Amino acid sequence: MAWSVARRSVADRPRLHADRPGVVLTLLLSLSRLIDRITERIGQGLYWLILITVLISAANAVVRKAFNYSSNSYLEAQWYLFSAVFLGAAGYTLLRNEHVRIDVISGKLSPRARAWIDILGTLFFLLPMAVLIGWLGWPVFVDSYVRGEVSSNAGGLIIWPARLLVPVGFFLLAVQGISELIKRVAFLMGLIPDPGEKIVVKTAEEELAEDILRARGEEALAAEIAAQATKPDGSKR
Amino acid sequence: MSAFLIANIAPLMFVTLIVVLLIGYPVAFSLAAVGIAYALLGIHLGLLTPSLVQALPERIWGVMSNDTLLAVPFFTFMGLILERSGMAEDLLDTIGQVFGPVRGGLAYAVIFVGALLAATTGVVAASVISMGLISLPIMLRYGYDRRFASGVIAASGTLAQIIPPSLVLIIMADQLGKSVGDMYAGAFIPGISLACLYALYTMGVCAVKPAWAPALPLEARTLREPSGAGGTRSLLVLTIVAAASAVAFAHWKYGPDDPTDEMLVVATSVGTGVAFFAAVLNRVFKLGLLSRLAERVVFVMIPPLALIFLVLGTIFLGVATPTEGGAMGASGALIMAVARKRLTWKLMRQAMDTTAKLSTFVVFILVGARVFSLTFYGVNGHVWVEQLLLHLPGGQLGFLIVVNVLIFFLAFFLDFFELSFIVIPLVGPVADKLGIDLIWFGVLLGVNMQTSFMHPPFGFALFYLRSVAPAKDFLDKVTGRLTKKVTTGQIYWGAVPFVLIQIVMIALVISFPQMVMVYKASEKAFDIKKIQIIVPEDQSGPGSQPAGGGSEGTTNIEQENAEKALEKELGGATKDPGSSQTESAPGNQQDDVEKALQKELGGAKAPEEKK
Repeated sequence: MAWSVARRSVADRPRLHADRPGVVLTLLLSLSRLIDRITERIGQGLYWLILITVLISAANAVVRKAFNYSSNSYLEAQWYLFSAVFLGAAGYTLLRNEHVRIDVISGKLSPRARAWIDILGTLFFLLPMAVLIGWLGWPVFVDSYVRGEVSSNAGGLIIWPARLLVPVGFFLLAVQGISELIKRVAFLMGLIPDPGEKIVVKTAEEELAEDILRARGEEALAAEIAAQATKPDGSKR
Repeated sequence: MSAFLIANIAPLMFVTLIVVLLIGYPVAFSLAAVGIAYALLGIHLGLLTPSLVQALPERIWGVMSNDTLLAVPFFTFMGLILERSGMAEDLLDTIGQVFGPVRGGLAYAVIFVGALLAATTGVVAASVISMGLISLPIMLRYGYDRRFASGVIAASGTLAQIIPPSLVLIIMADQLGKSVGDMYAGAFIPGISLACLYALYTMGVCAVKPAWAPALPLEARTLREPSGAGGTRSLLVLTIVAAASAVAFAHWKYGPDDPTDEMLVVATSVGTGVAFFAAVLNRVFKLGLLSRLAERVVFVMIPPLALIFLVLGTIFLGVATPTEGGAMGASGALIMAVARKRLTWKLMRQAMDTTAKLSTFVVFILVGARVFSLTFYGVNGHVWVEQLLLHLPGGQLGFLIVVNVLIFFLAFFLDFFELSFIVIPLVGPVADKLGIDLIWFGVLLGVNMQTSFMHPPFGFALFYLRSVAPAKDFLDKVTGRLTKKVTTGQIYWGAVPFVLIQIVMIALVISFPQMVMVYKASEKAFDIKKIQIIVPEDQSGPGSQPAGGGSEGTTNIEQENAEKALEKELGGATKDPGSSQTESAPGNQQDDVEKALQKELGGAKAPEEKK
């Protein structure tokens, strides 16, 4: 952090490609910020579907038992909605750096080396994969839409909106991948702090710990936990 | 060069995967990328047909329409709400008082509450944090050995992984193609036995090193009677009365032919009801029949027992599918949090946010694994793995030992989601070929993977305990004495005996499959119901899913619906008559899509190989 600030403050010092990437990168960085904002909106809108799915599922079980009434549409609605969450929020999860990694090795590397891993990974793993699957998913959706495909289950729902989720989800993921790419490159050039650091909002675990301590009248300890809590390494859950 | 590639493409692919995963880029994308890269290579070499990549969207669709996966967000959400509802704190405080007077009492309390929390939800972190903040300070205050105290807390926290309802078991059942209900029924006895082994170890510690786990002194027992008596006798009497009424009810209502799990659920509810009724009467009319301790215990036990009923009870009674059980539990947790005035919008949003991210990364690992396996199966990688594992010396036993050792060591680096999605689909079919019961196999691996939460230095339970255990010497608030910190070394060493217990448990499950096989006891009763349910399903009007039919039946219907739809989709998409509809003999637990795809691949590949 201190290092990157220092680099920026001596930006007038002659450096290889110091000027031209400056202009381009400024533009790219604002594009990245825009993508991040949109992704965040989408993610935070989609998570409400979790609650809705929970309620539909519980209500479905109760109603089936109590009134002996059930329809496949409720069952299908659940996985439609959940698919919307996990496909739509794939980019959001990437933004928050929550896709699990195996960091036995990379955890020991420097932030710069990790940024390189992310750049190469995005270029050679994420983007080709997301683009290819999204690309292949599109005609499947179009075909489903044209045929007006309906679920083969009795009382089933119309299918094309769910088919649309595949290309849309992987498109959003690819777009967020581009934003991550820009951020890593900017970091390597010393323009922004390490984007690989998890965004420092409190984890659910830290909140829980504070909550318990507060409830037991140990404010001082709670504050201490909040201050010094070590970050989960993200490799295990 | 290309001859070498063609001959060894499957092993090469596997090695590439390992190398790529170790680089440290997100697992989900690495898996998918390796799968796609090798698909292109395979097509280039003429091993695979270009139509292979066309199947990719169908692989994603298969993951989307797999409604067992809904359990992931449901149980995660439930756990996140529940951990903040204050239930665990109440339990630890009260149960600590119950066992406090005996030597090692706090350790027993931790194990008991750990098992109870495990049966409501499967969140290791929450259990460990609650115990680390509530029980650990008391244990340190009264002189528990630091290693023993932290070990027992970390281990009890991980019980959430093996005692139903746990995500591990759900995912394992899904990957092995077995019913989640059976997996639950099979994991029950091993889970409880494991908790008992922990308690046994505690007993041993108390006998050999009494100074490690002293009883609570009198002043620490706050729930005593005004007269000074402990009130445990009253609790004991109440327990016996409740248990007796449960047994009596079971005898009166159920015969030997009735399903055992239903009887257990109903009888337990009756017993709990009796105790609750007694406590309420005592409270309202100030009868003074029950001690304060007994009354308090009943009141704190009701919420977790109600939740267990809501989740497991409804599953075993056949009211809800295992997935719906999760949703019921989540709704119950929400209601409880509201009733205790613990639910805020902030908490709600946070829980949904965490749930969305966690279930996204979990499902994406599966997406990646399915993309990988599309190619891996295409190049006959599964045959390679099978040959490798089938020729192990020692038959069944040799296979089980090798797989368990493999998973034990892989678990140092991979977490259970990755293991379940990558390794289980490869070893599962081999286990089946060797005649190993897949539920037994799944439970066994579940116990094995549980250790991955405990072994130093990466174990997640240890990590969370470290984050809440005192990291520097502190002044104890009650005694006013300077108390020593808990070192990381102590936490690591404390976990070691419990990892060993875990290994003993694995050996026990291997030697005594009966522990798991009891799940079959209830199967006979289900078989008839299955048939009854499937018949109306074909007419498929609304309400065609009668709830009376046991968890088995309902689950099967849902799976079948999804599978049928998939098959149909696939048949339509590939336009290859006769390739996807013929079903091979049962016993292969790869799902239908897999089969259809394989067949398609096999069919497409054969002519190319000839020339």
